[in-house]
Amino acid sequence: MLAIKLAFKNLLGAGLRTWLNVIVLSFAFVLIIFYNGMIDGWNRQARNDTQNWEIGSGQFWHPAYDRFDPYTIAESNAVISKDIQDLIDDDKLTPVLIRQATLYPQGRLQSVLIKGVDPNQKVLELPTADIQNSQNKYAAIIGKQMAKSTKLNVGDKVLMRWRDKNGTFDAHEIEIVSIFKCDVPTVDNGNIYLDIKTLQDMTTLQDQATMLVAHREYENTKLEGWEHKNLGFLLAEFDKIIESKKGSGLILQSILLILAMLAIFDTQVLSIFRRQKEIGTYIALGLTRAKVVGIFTVEGAAHSILAAIVGAIYGVPLFIYLSKNGIYYGTSAQDAGMNIPMAETLYPYYSVGLVITSIIIVVVAATIVSYLPARKISKMKPTQALKGKIQ
Amino acid sequence: MKKIAIAIFTSLTLSLTAQTADEILIKVDKNMSADNRIVESSMTDNRIVESSMTIHGKRNSRTMTSRSYSVGDKKSFTEYLSPAREKGTKMLKLEDKLWIYSPSTDRTIKISGHMLRQSVMGSDFSYEDMMDDRKLTDIYTATIINEEEIEGRKTKVLKLVAKVSDVAYHSRKVWIDTERFVPLKEELFAKSGQLLKRSTLSDVKKLQGKWFAMKIVYKDMLKQGKGTEMHISSIKFNQKIPSYIFTKAALKQ
Amino acid sequence: MISFLLKGILRDRSRSLLPVIVVSLGVFLTIVMSAWIKGIFSEVIDMNAKFTTGHVKVMTRVYAENSNQMPLDLALLGVNELKQNLEKDYTDMEWVCRINFGGLLDVPDKNGETRAQGPAAGKAIDFFNNPKEVERMNIVKSIVDGTIPKKPGEAIISHEFAEKFGLGLGQKVTLFGSTMNGSMLFKTFTVCGTIRFGVTMLDRGAILIDISDAQLALDMENGSTEMLGFFNDGEYDKLKATEVVDAFNTKYSKQNDEFSPQMFRLEQQAGLEEYLAMAENMGGIMITFFIIAMSIVLWNTGLLGGLRRYTEYGIRLALGEEKKHIYMTMIYEAILIGIIGSIIGTVLGLGMSYYLQEVGVDFSDITKNINMMIPPIYRAAIYPDLFYIGFIPGLVAMTLGNALVR
Repeated sequence: MLAIKLAFKNLLGAGLRTWLNVIVLSFAFVLIIFYNGMIDGWNRQARNDTQNWEIGSGQFWHPAYDRFDPYTIAESNAVISKDIQDLIDDDKLTPVLIRQATLYPQGRLQSVLIKGVDPNQKVLELPTADIQNSQNKYAAIIGKQMAKSTKLNVGDKVLMRWRDKNGTFDAHEIEIVSIFKCDVPTVDNGNIYLDIKTLQDMTTLQDQATMLVAHREYENTKLEGWEHKNLGFLLAEFDKIIESKKGSGLILQSILLILAMLAIFDTQVLSIFRRQKEIGTYIALGLTRAKVVGIFTVEGAAHSILAAIVGAIYGVPLFIYLSKNGIYYGTSAQDAGMNIPMAETLYPYYSVGLVITSIIIVVVAATIVSYLPARKISKMKPTQALKGKIQ
Repeated sequence: MKKIAIAIFTSLTLSLTAQTADEILIKVDKNMSADNRIVESSMTDNRIVESSMTIHGKRNSRTMTSRSYSVGDKKSFTEYLSPAREKGTKMLKLEDKLWIYSPSTDRTIKISGHMLRQSVMGSDFSYEDMMDDRKLTDIYTATIINEEEIEGRKTKVLKLVAKVSDVAYHSRKVWIDTERFVPLKEELFAKSGQLLKRSTLSDVKKLQGKWFAMKIVYKDMLKQGKGTEMHISSIKFNQKIPSYIFTKAALKQ
Repeated sequence: MISFLLKGILRDRSRSLLPVIVVSLGVFLTIVMSAWIKGIFSEVIDMNAKFTTGHVKVMTRVYAENSNQMPLDLALLGVNELKQNLEKDYTDMEWVCRINFGGLLDVPDKNGETRAQGPAAGKAIDFFNNPKEVERMNIVKSIVDGTIPKKPGEAIISHEFAEKFGLGLGQKVTLFGSTMNGSMLFKTFTVCGTIRFGVTMLDRGAILIDISDAQLALDMENGSTEMLGFFNDGEYDKLKATEVVDAFNTKYSKQNDEFSPQMFRLEQQAGLEEYLAMAENMGGIMITFFIIAMSIVLWNTGLLGGLRRYTEYGIRLALGEEKKHIYMTMIYEAILIGIIGSIIGTVLGLGMSYYLQEVGVDFSDITKNINMMIPPIYRAAIYPDLFYIGFIPGLVAMTLGNALVR
């Protein structure tokens, strides 16, 4: 207790020097938390978006379906059973029927996936209701990116050719009734959304679906005849990206940490050098050397406590502001041609765990670098020290 | 490519061999098929067709020539004669199977599944277009819907609507010269009635007592471009075609 | 006087050693940190550039419009001449041809007939003559078995495909598809290596071959789907790229000829314009913060250096030395230490940054089981500012710290 009291007294007494160190340390704190918060925020946001727009709490696939192999699509559909229909009516699941088609915008040709969705669904954020608001049976919604690549606008009609379940060609104009903005590329790129009833008619696949998406609140992993795909599976590729981003952050954080530690180390070396009389006095007063080492170590480490406080003073409002208003990146990752979910504005997320971990790391590191120079004290001769003789 | 020629050819021919009341189709069928059914018991309606196909690409046009052997609708064998790059490439179709052989690599590749939907050598045909060997009369119901004149020839317009479900084109329209019993035009439609492909036949000649259109222009109506042209340079009927031709071993020879 | 002070600094270790070490370390950290931030922020750009967009890219006008369909028939022709011209016009850039194509990989049985087949994405680059291309695509590191193609007729295929179809090194696989003219593409390759990109789509089926093989097989003599330009220093420079693009398009691109070549800047292709600006700001902010922090540390060091020598100053004052003179010598000393430290720090920092740029830090142990197209290797990026940036904390802050000691 004495050590801590003394430490803070000494620190505050040292004035400017202490505060300079504390500010540097607090920078390190804030930057480390900022960076991690950015990655965590991105992670949460991307998962959240992907869940809300595409995968809910998981998907149930037709056993033949493989999202990476378009050739499986033709064979991947099954009739929705009565039991499952009940779950759909309960908004616990929503069916999606997927088929391939060719679009002919302005005489060009483009392969697309048509996804039949339920206009009344409440499982996904897709604005499927827009489909229903149109009188046109072939009303379709597409994402912003898709609109860009096909040069289609709301109200445009475009010829689409597809095959029914028997392979018979069919073709019709579809009308784009709305364009949604979604930061999940797999929802947007190359996808056209139609009423599932329309698509079932178009392909003579009455009452069939390729997959069922579970509502975020609906936890179930077993449905007869369907294969459950959990979030780990569906988000595997994205998780890899986050992992690797975290890796790159490690270096950044280490450098920041070294910087802060450099400041403390420097200060410690000097205080021990300059305060030999004080050290001698402590020993003369009956403190063991270990205790004195303790006092100095605590003093050095206390920088980090002060830094946490100072960092909090300007960091907390900054973080609150950022997590409310986000960091505007100007362009979403998919606009930038990257196939990863990332929004234009990134909202950092600062978890308690992150803050506590950062504090612990900095405090521990600070304690270690404070201790290293302080060890010298244990070799000092108190008499010499009292005289202020350099040892 | 020859293969394609044959495919078009046979599909048209057969489409015209109507089964029901439709005399026209029957006559067309008679005109186009080989006479001598009695002679070859196992090999009826065989023919050797030499033709050239011109594909108009965006940048340039290519012409290739080929020779096709066929027996009935189920078996055909095509060998490319030119240009040098394609020379020796062979295609064998047996029932619903298709193999392609390339001499440069000495490989025989089976074309199946989704590959069948690909365009054949950049033309407006897909492999699948060549593969459907059922008689049109077996899969479509025909009715006469109109009479029109094409290039000064009187034609009857027949509408064929699919009566089975597993067809690529739900309906077709065929313009048939009612004197010569040769089709002059054909259009293929999607279920919705959207026109998908059109072939125009011209240069009708009498060969061994039968009328044939020697030029066919085939066009995918949804694609830009000038389509694919086919010229038949010779047709020989009732030739002795050794049966080993229709085996995979023949591909390598 | 300077030489006197210098001697003092060199001989009195207590005066010099610690401050110089601290300043050097500080400057070193500043440089490495700046290079690192630059590196990770430009990683996206870099990855895009290396794999798809180049710093600039030439395609035919019509190919550019339809590039998502990979239409071989719309490819660029006369690339050899074009390349020669470009090399002449832009001596500080490297130009490379690549071909993207698709096809079917067909595995033969002993009779040369189809045993198995699957769709594949294909990419042809200059394996034989351009090790930089191999490096850019990070191929060597992504290879699971075998090597890169060394002679005509060799190909790398995706590891997953090879395993699924029991295809080993040295075995044959036929690429089937269509050539630039729409003719049938038949070309048998010997598998010389298998690769894993970490991108599921590509890992299902991919084939990498040398560009000369591709040109031959695809009827694309003297052609390629795209020609990529890279600045020799590896650094994307928007201004320079804009100049190059404008000059090129004025000279070569003809509005009425859809097959005339057109050049695009990196961001134009990938829509990276705003991201780039953002990354620059973000990186700038972080670096600024860091420099401020480091300045504080070194200022502090300066302060400490002064404090440490109160006794000495007392003696010197007692000896009759003028206050002002003492102060001046102290400042000069600080400047000298700052310069020495900054130089050492900058040199070491640049060295480290260079190492981090060339070798990178491999996180594959930490992030095991992760296979990314760009594996978890992160790199720093050296840029011109690094040569002076360290002097801000090293010299200015250090001197300031000493100056304020009074």
